[in-house]
Amino acid sequence: MSGPEAADRRASAGTSATVIGVALLVVAVLVGLLVGPVRIGAANVLRWLFSFGDAPPGMSEQQALILADLRLPRVIVAGLVGASLAASGAAYQAVFRNPLADPYLLGAAAGAGLGATIAVAYGPSGALELTVPVAAFVGALVGVGLAYGLGRSTLGGRSTTSLVLAGVAVASFLTAVQTFLQQQRSETLRQVYTWILGRLGTTGWDDVRLALPSVVLALATMWAVRRLLDVIEVGDVEAQSLGLNVARLRLVVVIAASLATAAAVAVAGLIGFVGLIIPHTVRLMVGGSYRSVLPLSVLFGASFLIFVDTLARTVVAPAEIPIGVITAFIGAPFFIAVLRRNRRAA
Amino acid sequence: MKLDDRAGVVTALEVRDLSVELGRRRIVSGVRMDVEEGGWVCVIGPNGAGKTTLLHAIAGLLPRSGSVRLWGRPIGELGRRERARTIALVPQLPVIPEGFTVEQYALLGRTPHLGLLASEGPRDLEAVASALERLDLGWAATRRLDTLSGGELRRAVIARAIAQEASLLLLDEPTTGLDIAQQLRVLELVEELRTADGLTVISTMHDLTLAGRFAHRFALLSEGRVVSEGTRAEVLLPHVIAEHYGARVGVIDDGTLGWAVVPLSGPER
Amino acid sequence: MWFHGGSDDAPAGNVASPSSEPSSFPVAVEGTSGQVTIAERPQRIVSLSPTATEDLFAIGAGEQVIAVDDQSNFPPEAPATELSGFEPNVEAIAGFEPDLVVFATDPGDLGSSLEGLGITSLQLDAAPTLAVAYEQIEQLGLATGHADQARALVDDMRSEIEGLVDSADPASGTSFYYELDDTFYSVTSKTFIGQLFELLGLENIADEVGRGSGGYPQLSAEYILASDPDLIFLADTKCCGQSLETVSQRPGWHELSAVTRGDVVPLDDDVASRWGPRIVDLMKQISEAADSAGANAA
Repeated sequence: MSGPEAADRRASAGTSATVIGVALLVVAVLVGLLVGPVRIGAANVLRWLFSFGDAPPGMSEQQALILADLRLPRVIVAGLVGASLAASGAAYQAVFRNPLADPYLLGAAAGAGLGATIAVAYGPSGALELTVPVAAFVGALVGVGLAYGLGRSTLGGRSTTSLVLAGVAVASFLTAVQTFLQQQRSETLRQVYTWILGRLGTTGWDDVRLALPSVVLALATMWAVRRLLDVIEVGDVEAQSLGLNVARLRLVVVIAASLATAAAVAVAGLIGFVGLIIPHTVRLMVGGSYRSVLPLSVLFGASFLIFVDTLARTVVAPAEIPIGVITAFIGAPFFIAVLRRNRRAA
Repeated sequence: MKLDDRAGVVTALEVRDLSVELGRRRIVSGVRMDVEEGGWVCVIGPNGAGKTTLLHAIAGLLPRSGSVRLWGRPIGELGRRERARTIALVPQLPVIPEGFTVEQYALLGRTPHLGLLASEGPRDLEAVASALERLDLGWAATRRLDTLSGGELRRAVIARAIAQEASLLLLDEPTTGLDIAQQLRVLELVEELRTADGLTVISTMHDLTLAGRFAHRFALLSEGRVVSEGTRAEVLLPHVIAEHYGARVGVIDDGTLGWAVVPLSGPER
Repeated sequence: MWFHGGSDDAPAGNVASPSSEPSSFPVAVEGTSGQVTIAERPQRIVSLSPTATEDLFAIGAGEQVIAVDDQSNFPPEAPATELSGFEPNVEAIAGFEPDLVVFATDPGDLGSSLEGLGITSLQLDAAPTLAVAYEQIEQLGLATGHADQARALVDDMRSEIEGLVDSADPASGTSFYYELDDTFYSVTSKTFIGQLFELLGLENIADEVGRGSGGYPQLSAEYILASDPDLIFLADTKCCGQSLETVSQRPGWHELSAVTRGDVVPLDDDVASRWGPRIVDLMKQISEAADSAGANAA
């Protein structure tokens, strides 16, 4: 079987995964809207959704407020963050040809952490809700920029290895600066710590507005070049022989993934493992081609994080477990499984 | 390599004074080569002579000095994609992406034919299907790459190159790691494709017997320089091989069994 | 106004003069880690506890204090240094040649290290109840030779607080939310500060869900919105820059009754985290807020 027939077969595997992904996302959104310390019946929630936000009879104004101002933006942000981290992880795994690459590879996490610390330590204390996300966003981009610049210029940046090494160097340096700052201003410790672990407890529509443009732009870019991500899988030399401008693709992907990651980190703090768990799980379902892996990572990443966030605010309600803790619990054993799979394959 | 100015002879590849420096070492020095359209040239030479580097430089993948012309046009004039539609490279150690099927892999060959945001159309799928059939891999289209044998894998890479629909095929050690049957199969397939499509083939090979039996013309590369070029009878001679390979061989041309290079005992003293 | 001269013996006015009590040394004093014997009237006291600093100056022992830690910002005339109460450096402390060191938390072996150097130290841990807070003031009075003034101060505090409690209307059932930081950490009525509110008859929305959280539960925005407390007390004005303005910008919070009526009370982080004489001021502030909230709600 070959040609159009085989393409159909392939398409149907992708289609069923897409259907599952969409269904899962819908379920995740509904669960996210339904669950919370305040009981709002399922029927009420559905009616509220379909009446575009007017409180239907049987629901108090306050319940409608909770849905509209707390749960809905929170679910949206969780979805955006999950989609961003999953897609960025997949894209980085492609352009660095490393199954263990994650969105924070080039110093985005360290840069964001430093930005947040600077904002907490030196920013106007009344405007923290705004300054921390913006500083984290900028910090993440600066971190990646430094790593990229260093990798290209001084470490003979023709290879991906030099970029990765530069990322490690930049991350170490920025983390050291952050630690030093925190020691100097020890009152910042607790606030930065809670931010670092990842939380959506104070999410509102402002966060949606902050993250949405970057995330949409970045995801659209990555989606557009997903076919080229397949090409780069055969290595720089072969990809070039196939006519691909490898360096340009890598740059575009790094910019897009960093933008998405920076937005995610700005509104949610540092949530790890999503960029690893989701792409690998998707690959198990539909194989290694990024035409499927990328869009499905977006879908499943969004659902995953919405579920995790719901879990985070349910298990010890009304307190919340930092989301990063939950993803680490899931991610660590997952990580080990991936490592073992790779070693066996090698 | 001198070609006659006979009417009808088209020079597919013209290389003049090609040199490649990697790090601070000169790997290839002042190479001059002419390859006739539809012909098969084999670049031979001892390990480390620079054969792979030469091939990659011809493919435009390495910085070089000197000139490379494809059908009269300087390679630098061609855009990336046009160059990839003209030259297809089959590397010695291809990277096998994880989780790809044979068909997805061969489809990568259509990359230079597709616009930035385009995806494959029926024409592309047909080209891939036909390439797989010709390489006798039709049955394997939906099989994963990592389930193939060595010979099948090599054919898959060639299928990808064929799907590129390029006119010049560069094969880097196409017989590495294959058993004798697989080796013959691959080379016979290449010969079939060459005659059917009018492909121009340049290969590097370490097996002198197979090289001599399949290619038309030869260039012996030693320490980055072309030290001998011409037909089999001109290049693949015992004293030439002894001088540059440091090995004692004999060459036999038996009526029924054909031409072969026969190893004699021990290195040249 | 944190100190009123109330008893006949004690000198009037804010600045207390050294007591002229008969020698009451050596004296045994109760600290958190047991009994401590103070041989002579200490003249070189180092305080690493902001509360103890406030206590010492309030009972008239200010002139005996030669150094206080970097967090002891009240009273302003306290001799502030760079000593840290959280990460005490024994050498630095010893450098002041103190004859008494008062501290609240012992992160390492501060007590035993000081003992090793022959320096008398007194640990007065965070008071779990008002009674213990009073007790600490009296112990400091004994330790510094100002027992009478200490007793007078405690009596004053007691009577003021009792007055506030009596005038509070316990049937009002006014509810409140007490915020420790901007991730909604709160306190239950089991904590020291929580007890103060309880005394004034206010209902703490964190009590229902705070069981088993060690007294400092983390609430969620949803829960706070659903509880719709009558009063909101912000103890994170200094650390996290919170105010009525910032609070009203939180998603959904603009609908809270306390926000729309302006019953959001910014507290001084420091006052709210200590257990010294200024708790009286704190309770006055709470009481006033409760009264006005009750009036608003009516």
